Amino acid sequence: MMPLIEILTPKNLNEVLSILSNHDKVLKIIAGGTDVVTGLKQESNRFIDAEILIDINHIAEVKGIEQRNGKISIGAATTFTEIYKNQIASKELPILKKAVSTIGSLQIRNRATIAGNFVNNAPCADTVPALLIYNATIEIESINSKREISLQEFLQGPYKTQLKKDEIVTRINIPVPPKTFVGDFYKLGRRQAVAISRITLAVLMELKENNINEIRIASGAATPIGTRFPDLEKFAEGKVVNDNFLRSLASKIGDEIIKLTGLRWSSEYKLPVVQQMFYQMLNRMTKRIK
Amino acid sequence: MKNLKIINVRFFAQTSSVLRMTGRELMKKKFSVVGTNVIREDGFDKVTGRAKFADDYKFDGMLHAVMLRIPETHAKINSINYLEIENDASIISIITSADIPGSKKVGMIKNDQPIFCDEVVVTPGDVLAMLVGEDVSRLRSALSKIKIDFSPLPVLTDPKKSLEPDAILIHPELGSNLIIHHPLRKGNIEKGFDESDQIIEQTYTTQLIEHAYIEPEAVIAIPLGVNGVKIIGSIQNPFSARRIIAAVVNLPLDKVQVIQAQLGGSFGGKDDIMCILSARAAVAAIKVNRPVKIRYTREESILESYKRHPYILNYKVGFTNSGKIKAMKIDILADGGAYCSMSPFVTWRSVVQATGPYEVENVHTDVRAVYTNNPYTGAMRGFGSPQPIFANESLMDEIALKLGITPYEVRKINGLKAGSITATGQKLQNHDVNLLTVLNVAAKDTDFLNKWKKYKKDKSIVKKYDFTKSVFNDSQFIEPDQLIKKGIGLAVSYRGCSLGAEGIDAAACYLSFQNDGTAYLLSGLAENGQGLRTTFSIIVAEELGITTDNIFYLETDTSRVPDSGPTVASRATLMGGGAVKNAAEILRGRFEELIQEEWKLKSEDEIVFRDNKILTTDNRSLITFKDLCKLAASRGINLSTIGWYKSPNVDWDEHTGQGDAYFTYVYGCQIAEVSVNLGTGEVYLDKITAVHDPGTVINKLGAEGQVYGGVTQGAGYGMLEEVTTENGLIRELNFDQYLILTAKDIGEIKPIFVEGKEIYGPWGAKSLGEPTLELTAAAISNAVSNATGNRFFNLPLNLEEVLLGKKLRPVEVKRGSLR
Ligand SMILES: Cc1cc2nc3c(=O)[nH]c(=O)nc-3n(C[C@H](O)[C@H](O)[C@H](O)COP(=O)(O)OP(=O)(O)OC[C@H]3O[C@@H](n4cnc5c(N)ncnc54)[C@H](O)[C@@H]3O)c2cc1C
Repeated sequence: MMPLIEILTPKNLNEVLSILSNHDKVLKIIAGGTDVVTGLKQESNRFIDAEILIDINHIAEVKGIEQRNGKISIGAATTFTEIYKNQIASKELPILKKAVSTIGSLQIRNRATIAGNFVNNAPCADTVPALLIYNATIEIESINSKREISLQEFLQGPYKTQLKKDEIVTRINIPVPPKTFVGDFYKLGRRQAVAISRITLAVLMELKENNINEIRIASGAATPIGTRFPDLEKFAEGKVVNDNFLRSLASKIGDEIIKLTGLRWSSEYKLPVVQQMFYQMLNRMTKRIK
Repeated sequence: MKNLKIINVRFFAQTSSVLRMTGRELMKKKFSVVGTNVIREDGFDKVTGRAKFADDYKFDGMLHAVMLRIPETHAKINSINYLEIENDASIISIITSADIPGSKKVGMIKNDQPIFCDEVVVTPGDVLAMLVGEDVSRLRSALSKIKIDFSPLPVLTDPKKSLEPDAILIHPELGSNLIIHHPLRKGNIEKGFDESDQIIEQTYTTQLIEHAYIEPEAVIAIPLGVNGVKIIGSIQNPFSARRIIAAVVNLPLDKVQVIQAQLGGSFGGKDDIMCILSARAAVAAIKVNRPVKIRYTREESILESYKRHPYILNYKVGFTNSGKIKAMKIDILADGGAYCSMSPFVTWRSVVQATGPYEVENVHTDVRAVYTNNPYTGAMRGFGSPQPIFANESLMDEIALKLGITPYEVRKINGLKAGSITATGQKLQNHDVNLLTVLNVAAKDTDFLNKWKKYKKDKSIVKKYDFTKSVFNDSQFIEPDQLIKKGIGLAVSYRGCSLGAEGIDAAACYLSFQNDGTAYLLSGLAENGQGLRTTFSIIVAEELGITTDNIFYLETDTSRVPDSGPTVASRATLMGGGAVKNAAEILRGRFEELIQEEWKLKSEDEIVFRDNKILTTDNRSLITFKDLCKLAASRGINLSTIGWYKSPNVDWDEHTGQGDAYFTYVYGCQIAEVSVNLGTGEVYLDKITAVHDPGTVINKLGAEGQVYGGVTQGAGYGMLEEVTTENGLIRELNFDQYLILTAKDIGEIKPIFVEGKEIYGPWGAKSLGEPTLELTAAAISNAVSNATGNRFFNLPLNLEEVLLGKKLRPVEVKRGSLR
């Protein structure tokens, strides 16, 4: 059952910040509402106590996509449809674009926002692996403070982040990867649309000759939250790309995932599939480079 | 659904004993409306949001009712204490079993389902009592203040254990958990196996699934004082609802008026549950003397509504080296869940059709349905056919593989033909037995044989994974160009039309022309979203040479038209359409008599009704239809009538399972073309070719719609859908977890109609709704087998089943996001 909740629609960021500084009430930001509203209906502990929802959909400071000084800055309340249609994002952030295109359905993408995705931080938040391989940082503000930290650091555990009660995420900043980088995103769900991810993988890499100069690897859904694999990346860097190497890299991700996740009811399926599809993905990417 | 091209193939009967067709009908080669594309009369209202569904109705002083349940699968209720809410002003009434003036237990076949379960709960959907008041949210919060003292009882969830001597009894007063046993004995099964060169024995299982109608249950009861009670609801079968409500509120049938609101989907699912909800609403409305609405959330809907029976099917088949089946021994166990519902009829269709559409001399079948504490199961589109079809059509492919012949050949050798004797000893006659025709058309249209041979794998190419070793060895990686494999598979079926030996089979319709040429039409069968009103309007229009926009289809109301039985068993076009045609013929007869007198025609002169006009055979126009109605009215001719259509008799010996089970049959063949991802177990549906003989197609657009919808539903059954339970509690209570296919999961669907000749039904129109669904899962499974070299025995073929050959279940019932 939906509780009765007050909804405020502040006009600018300052108003949002001052509302957030009120500690008497249980406040929650609402952007697209695709997690908040469904969570309220399911009486999820994360939302059910909320007394006031703060609608940030009309705050200019948290909307829009800009490119400045080699960085792309995405407003926290930018919807997936806006990202998908945006020229800068399409050109410079193809992996994010691909991740965004796999989310929910058109109706969901028209509402759901990028910050909502990682603040909610479900294991299956599809943009998280993509943002992690882009080394995204996020700007967080409260009435008294402003900080910028890496997304990786911000995410703490399933449905847990560093966000404090009086804070809002305002922007996501992504250093534009050099043109020499190629990448890909992979999502597996039980069906072709409106599917909760069972496995996601995001990879970005730079080859020099046939050597891996740099590689960034992240997964979601198969791990408790979207995660980078530093050990795997270290293992890969400097290696010559050939079939043997791709196989050994792909099989190592199985080990990494077990380390993070332990064995679960779904491991029997997910472990072989993640290795197999990681291998397929690496193959596709390295063929593309050649 | 890109391909909208329909190939119409007309095949004519070899045995042309035509019983009911008049000479004029046989001469008439061309239809004017029948077989064309007619847009559904309710279509615009539905897509523009104007259609009124049950929950859209509101009345002055209307109250709401909410249900009291406990999250227990099996428990004895010791006491229910309402003390804490007694003075709660938001509660106008607490409705319990004590408020029921009539039957406290009801059922479609057996009265084993309490309206309120205040003594014992036998499945988690059970409702103990109901709170009535103005504000649903306050009523819901009051629910938690009711103190229920109960003692949990042992739980029985495995149907295989239901009949064990020490099994707990779900309904102790019945003395056994056996709901029904249908035996069938034909020939000599031992002799049949002796004459066989080879024998295959196999067990198949099918899963529990939800109808997933888009509109959850909703109903309103309005008290009418001495005139009884009026019900408006999302009700599939208004006459069944009337019977149950009348019994529960203890009123005669004429004091219970049931009106069907626009139905947001049903698929067989808004029968028992809506009868019971209507009865609960009626009890409350009469008690408080105000309108009472019940409207379910999706969670309540999935929790309480009945589902499709899971089956365990053991097949033993003996055949010769030349591919001829000699004997089939079949043992089927259906999980009926906590209540009987339609189990006896559902499983009866299974016993009739369990061998599949094949000539088998020696058959020994036992079908049993049993009680468990699981969610109860009843009618769902397909009705006892999708389960055996999955088994017998998988088995046919296995026979073919064993003998080194094709799936096409094995079906050709054994398939039913004109004059064949079915498993129930019925000789197929008086209609085109088009099984091999649909098979041939489908095989040809898809280039089946070449593709099947090309894709075929001699052994499984699905990699084996050792779960305990997390890391792959080299040989487990799939070469990128080997990741996706194509496959093709087919399935055929025959299906008995309408109710068969289930019961009396007759239908009525009311048709009334006005003196301006327009008409009111109402059938005793109900629109369930299948487009019945449009189909019936077409029949009137065809018979009287007018256009469908002159016909106004009335609201379905039990007080306005005779009881025509339920809208089930793909019987509406055949039976209801027969009644509509009968009504139109009666009125046409009256018109013809008048015209003959008025224009002094000779008795052999033919009168043609066409283009809203009346013509002679030499094309002389006599009068417009509109003026004819005016003329007839001025002469005092009765322009209204009740049409009636009764099926011919069928017969059935329940001890031997022998008899003419249904008066006619339809035939279908579906071919699935798939791509299988060997890395993930994903199955992509590239194309489904659906060839059906529904008899004459009345509305081509409607018929295509049935194919698109049925195939999609059947594919979901084959690949994805499953209600799972943990100790009887359902895990998937909403569509975030209960997954059905989306438009993106379905490739091309190509409907092809082979219109076989038939002596029954309007112009030989028979059945299509269920045949379209029953074949798809089996065809897909055969296609995946063709692609991978692996056989599948357990539906659905989800990711884990395809990759690992088993299902994996989460440990927790709760959604992850609720932490
Ligand atoms: C049918 C359906 C399908 C879905 N499919 C997918 C899918 O395929 N992949 C996927 O990843 N997700 C999916 N989701 C989940 C959801 O759409 C995404 O997580 C989405 O990104 C959430 O964004 P939102 O704007 O709707 O968030 P909201 O629901 O508005 O908020 C989510 C959380 O983030 C907080 N929040 C939002 N914005 C800010 C901000 N600027 N600063 C601080 N806190 C903030 C809110 O307080 C709340 O805790 C689906 C959801 C539904 C209902």
